[in-house]
Amino acid sequence: MATTTAPPAAATGQPSGRLRSRLRTRTRRNLLTLIAVYGLMLLVAVIVIFPIYWMFSISLKLPREIYRLPALIPQNPTWDNYRELINERGYLTNIRNSIIVASSVTVVSLLISSFAAYSIVRFRYRFRGFVGRLILLTYLTPGSLLFIPLSIIVARLNLGNSLYGLVILYLTFSIPLSTWLLSGYFRSVPPDLEEQAMVDGTTQLGALFRILIPLSLPGLAAVGIFTFTAAWNELLFALIFITSEDLRTVPLGLQYLITGDVLLWGPIMAGAVLAALPVMVLYFLAQRFMVQGMTAGSVKG
Amino acid sequence: MSLLANQEAPRVARTSRLTLANRQALTGYLLVVPALALLLALVAYPFFFAISISFTDRVVGQPGNWIGLDNFRYLSQNPSFLKTIQNTIIMVVVSDILKLFIGLGLAMLLNQAVRGRGLMRAVILLPWAMPGFVAFLVWKLLYMPIGGAFNQILTKTNIYPEIIDYLGQRSTALPAVILATTWRGFPFWAISFLAALQGVPGELYEAAKVDGASSWQRFWDITLPSIKPVILIVVLMSSIWTANSFENIWIMTQGGPSDATMVFPVLAYFGMQSQRLGEAAAVSVAMIPALLILVFFVTWLVEDDD
Amino acid sequence: MSHSSSPFLRRRRTRRQVVGGLAGGAAAFTAGSMLPGTLLARKAPAVIQASGPLTYWGGLIFSDAANEMLTDTINQWGSDNGVETEVVMINQNETNQRVSAAVEAGTMPRALDMGLDLALLLSTSGQLQDVSDIYDTIGAAQGGWHESVDGAVAPEKFNGIRAGVPFGAGGNVLFRRQDILDEIGVTEAPATWQELSDVAAQAQEGAPGVYGLGLALSNVGDANLMVSALQSYGGRIADDEGVTCTISSPETMAFLEWVNAAWEAGLFPPGATTWDGAGDNTAYLSGQAVFIANTGSVSIAAQTDDPELFEATAYSALPAGPVMQVAPIGPNLRAIPTSTEDVDTVKALLEFLAQPEFLGEYYKVAIYGPVLQGQDEMEAFTSTPVLGGLRDLVLNGTAPGAPDVSNTAYADFNSNFTVPKMIQRIVVDGMSLEEAMAEAQTSGETIYAKYG
Repeated sequence: MATTTAPPAAATGQPSGRLRSRLRTRTRRNLLTLIAVYGLMLLVAVIVIFPIYWMFSISLKLPREIYRLPALIPQNPTWDNYRELINERGYLTNIRNSIIVASSVTVVSLLISSFAAYSIVRFRYRFRGFVGRLILLTYLTPGSLLFIPLSIIVARLNLGNSLYGLVILYLTFSIPLSTWLLSGYFRSVPPDLEEQAMVDGTTQLGALFRILIPLSLPGLAAVGIFTFTAAWNELLFALIFITSEDLRTVPLGLQYLITGDVLLWGPIMAGAVLAALPVMVLYFLAQRFMVQGMTAGSVKG
Repeated sequence: MSLLANQEAPRVARTSRLTLANRQALTGYLLVVPALALLLALVAYPFFFAISISFTDRVVGQPGNWIGLDNFRYLSQNPSFLKTIQNTIIMVVVSDILKLFIGLGLAMLLNQAVRGRGLMRAVILLPWAMPGFVAFLVWKLLYMPIGGAFNQILTKTNIYPEIIDYLGQRSTALPAVILATTWRGFPFWAISFLAALQGVPGELYEAAKVDGASSWQRFWDITLPSIKPVILIVVLMSSIWTANSFENIWIMTQGGPSDATMVFPVLAYFGMQSQRLGEAAAVSVAMIPALLILVFFVTWLVEDDD
Repeated sequence: MSHSSSPFLRRRRTRRQVVGGLAGGAAAFTAGSMLPGTLLARKAPAVIQASGPLTYWGGLIFSDAANEMLTDTINQWGSDNGVETEVVMINQNETNQRVSAAVEAGTMPRALDMGLDLALLLSTSGQLQDVSDIYDTIGAAQGGWHESVDGAVAPEKFNGIRAGVPFGAGGNVLFRRQDILDEIGVTEAPATWQELSDVAAQAQEGAPGVYGLGLALSNVGDANLMVSALQSYGGRIADDEGVTCTISSPETMAFLEWVNAAWEAGLFPPGATTWDGAGDNTAYLSGQAVFIANTGSVSIAAQTDDPELFEATAYSALPAGPVMQVAPIGPNLRAIPTSTEDVDTVKALLEFLAQPEFLGEYYKVAIYGPVLQGQDEMEAFTSTPVLGGLRDLVLNGTAPGAPDVSNTAYADFNSNFTVPKMIQRIVVDGMSLEEAMAEAQTSGETIYAKYG
């Protein structure tokens, strides 16, 4: 912001001739900058949107048009793929399952991570640094490595083929990231307010819920959205641990449109559009928080 | 009375301080226990379990015998092993560099006070907001030799009249896969950098301007140092994601053509398909030292900075 | 099955689904009432009723009607016999991974469908139960098993057991665009691989944007068709004992020369070196390929989505090489994991699912060839060309892996895509034929050594 905003002309009062001409070149330069800025923004928008447009255009096509008459613009657009997905393939059930899983993961993960981050940032005890590092390190393990051992544990704990089992599994990748981002955010909040509250008789847990969390809402929103998206889009664990048709999540539902050696491009892309929509809306509504929330979290991380 | 009181007071104070510190530590432990327990049970334990599997000839349904480093020796004999290491490094480094430039550029762009930047911020998050495997299916469609969008545009506009098999030839396969991976991954970078930029105090720039610093100097002396920790951490996270990513390669090329895009997770998946768990685990384990070096390097840079 | 390009087709599809469903139900009903006494007697001796419902993992195929019919029939059987059933249709692309996880975790279903390779791996590690008794009963009741099917599931390859009950034979049929071939005056299917590439080159010349050979050369199962071609040239993966890798040979070289010449002539569609499992389908359905080798799903897709293409397609057996014709059949099995306790109940179900009343209807909407001689004259095989092609494959095809020994080393060799990779070394990396063959030999030796 600070790099381009010129001081408002009015504030400089009656400018001298030299100043005026300098202001004029400044305005011209500003105009050029503006054109460059918008040009670049347009370019980026095209690069981002084109693949998404392509996805949308395929979702409006029937197979014959996809295969035989590939064209940049659908010649006979139809909503058939969407209809098929919803009416015949129970896609709404997938969406419902994904909403249940993703929102549960988000809530539980935020709670557990807030506790952990609060503990790491505000408490003094042995191994504190070690615990913090350990939590971050767990984030590194390749998912493909955990596949077999996890399936044994999941079976022993009776978590297989259930949505809550999926919630618990997703916590394994959401908690490290959330804890880490939140501890950065909590650290940026001055401890004085909590200390004051505790002098006034609030418990430590009370200070977390009444002072720290309300002050960290943008951070929590950003972390929450990251968690939600990751859980919404997760495929590998769902693929292995969910068998029943009525428990399938969105990515799994889409995956099942690839049967044997046939890809149902139309319905897959329609499903992709429907899957991306809620998350896109969420991002759109929350993008202000995202930026604010990431600020403290990542700067101080 | 006063003597007694004087003797009593410090003792009371000391014990209460001790219990306070103890209680503090206890609460601290209690708060971190849920996260720690979950991660130990569902990540750390399976992790060490998997490492132990990599030293056995375990196949599905049979516990297998200890065979020492045989799986690793077998892996190193794979004619594509060196290529796999090379591809993984190229993938991570090149996509990191691309994402760094694009992310930083976009963040600076969106940090300007211009109309429509709110909308733009939402737009650039789109690639991040869709399931990964769907994003890569779309890119596969875009790259398709016949009927794919890129070839259609290039041939119809006569910019390049011949069909290019982007994913099917050695020269273009890896770049094409990296490009798609970058498209999917840059929003995280841009938005993190943007967040960091907004945390840089404006007064610093004003002061530098008064001192007559050029915009390049301002960028080099103020912007970059201020957001360096964020850059390092984003590089770390994203490198881990890229090194571990499976969907992008599996959907677009299955590691082919030949071994042009073969990476560790895909190699491990092949092992899994033939139900040779020991070998599959060895492939994943072989990647861990590299990840650890990366992590220590970046955390070292970050701490050095502090 | 899932698309339709006109209201008419949509109606037809829906109607067919309804008919399919009804037929399945009816088959279940009639078959249920005709169950032989022995079959009923086997029913769930309540003593060993294992906990939970009887879970069945069916293999999802590209035919909604077939998938639904299997599900409905099993559930119908369950309610008729007082057994709680739960059918889960598993995407076959993930069967291996899912079964691996389930075996390790002890969460296998009571019974499941699988291909021959998986059955081989699982029986070697002792994960499957012997089903000889129902295998024999079913065979005796329906004119005997086809020789090729019987050979494919011979106990000596499966750790001494009958690993499962075959329910449908898969395999590749050569699809050809007769409309394009008519223009160059070719009416008969090519009999040899050389003839195939010659005709393909000729056809391609007259039709711009079309490629002669829609065969995959990538790291997918489809590309292992090249193994059959290699064998038909006289090349061998391993010796007669199936112990030593012998891929490096003058015969293999002759095969490589053929592929390389076809590649140099531009007969393979661009992308064939990175196709996924759907690559050949996409190429054919987009009208880009004159010939493809496919299991039949393309035909089903074309029937609803592109009737003109469907009409223009003719089917034949895979071509022969200079030495022999190799057209392997791959029977699909219904198997019972070792973990299943109420074996008798499950066997009763498998026997029920082998009834001609059910399979007769099922085959009409599925993509399998017959496994029993009594099934040959079923309407499905006499009236639908591609299914007829699959029946011919069962009658004339070769055993899986033949002339090589189909053992676990052979399966591992193929799941590493060693032969397709050898070809990619040549056409993608520009390696010489000798070098590529030597590299494949080394890889093969390493693989076979693990099982020695």
